[in-house]
Amino acid sequence: MMVKCVIWDLDNTMLSGVYLESGSQPPPPDPAMVAVAAELRDRGIIHAIASRNPPEAAQYAEKATGLEFAAVECGWDRKSDAVRRIVADLAMAPDAVAFVDDDLYERAEVSFRVPEALVLSPEDMADAVGWPEFSPTVVTAEARRRGEMYAERRLRQEEARAFGGSRDEFLRYCGTQVSIAPATAADVPRLHELSVRTHQFNSAGRGVTEPELAMLTSSPGHRVAAVRLHDRFGDDGLVGGCVVEAVEDGWTVSLLMISCRAMGRGVIEALLAWLARSAAEAGAATLAVPCLVSPRNVPLRLALASSGFRATEGGTPDQPVAVFSRALDGPPPDLPEWASAA
Amino acid sequence: MRRSGAAEVIAELREILAEATGRAELAGLGEQVPLFGAGVGLDSLTGTLLLREVHRRFGVDVAGEDLNLDALATLGALAAFIAERTG
Repeated sequence: MMVKCVIWDLDNTMLSGVYLESGSQPPPPDPAMVAVAAELRDRGIIHAIASRNPPEAAQYAEKATGLEFAAVECGWDRKSDAVRRIVADLAMAPDAVAFVDDDLYERAEVSFRVPEALVLSPEDMADAVGWPEFSPTVVTAEARRRGEMYAERRLRQEEARAFGGSRDEFLRYCGTQVSIAPATAADVPRLHELSVRTHQFNSAGRGVTEPELAMLTSSPGHRVAAVRLHDRFGDDGLVGGCVVEAVEDGWTVSLLMISCRAMGRGVIEALLAWLARSAAEAGAATLAVPCLVSPRNVPLRLALASSGFRATEGGTPDQPVAVFSRALDGPPPDLPEWASAA
Repeated sequence: MRRSGAAEVIAELREILAEATGRAELAGLGEQVPLFGAGVGLDSLTGTLLLREVHRRFGVDVAGEDLNLDALATLGALAAFIAERTG
């Protein structure tokens, strides 16, 4: 499991000292931890703070380290609660985070209550930079910008909270643009990254290798689409994709995947509408999306159910698969106004 | 797990829906109004928040038991689904 976010304690972890006990001068950051965090940031891993301190301690840590923190939980609750709130705030799953704390009891508390998280001491973390969980094979452009994208996301969420209208009105207000185009060879590394990183919106529940994706993009019996997203807050780049087998009079989507960061921004609706339109234009009578049934990809099943797909059970007892399908008779669905297709 | 009649359940579901969507006006939503329709526009994000809260408060795992998520058609359908499993 790749780590997507490292959650840092401050006192005696990111900072070399205790913030509230340092008198007039707050403790300087620990240079070893800052170096580790910067290296991980350059690999596309984001950072958060969970600290038993007033909020000023996090602001101080941001300035003193020069790092960006995508989420901050400063308070006096249990660390495990802070970790869970950060995980929810970032729309991640608990097994995608690492938690670093010098305090043995804090580490034990978090390990007990959030067993899926990777819990490390600062010494472990210095060593962990070389572990596979922290080492993506390719660092894509989206990965390098990930910290900035989370900062853009926070601004967007603040505006969403203050906005009075519906979700669609908000998407329009943000100038949301979803672009769907045939995938090219240049898209293959990022599509591979998405296939291994996505779980909440991943129909197959498994990654696809780069050679396989390259073969599929040039295969005449398949269509591979790349989905990009941006709005006035920022550019999220390539956030999703799908692989379609155009068989006889039915299209089957063998893989559908979208970054969880794009959840709630109209991307899945646009992609499903585009798939229905394209399949109908090609003369297909039905569109099927086989979907591994797992508690992890409930958001995908929700999107399919709300877009008019009905499921029938399939697969095996070990690997239950729900085949979501819809007929393509009747008028094709409209592409949402913020979506465009090449 | 709590024992709840359908009426109590609906009242609580309205609260949960308003919180999940961040839209206070949905606290008065009718039982028969389609949740996935243009009016309410429940999507994968707000839907997941709703299901999670329902699981937490009522102990019912809708997604685990209902492949097609028919229970999410309306508040009335969801309340009936929950009441059947907690009565």
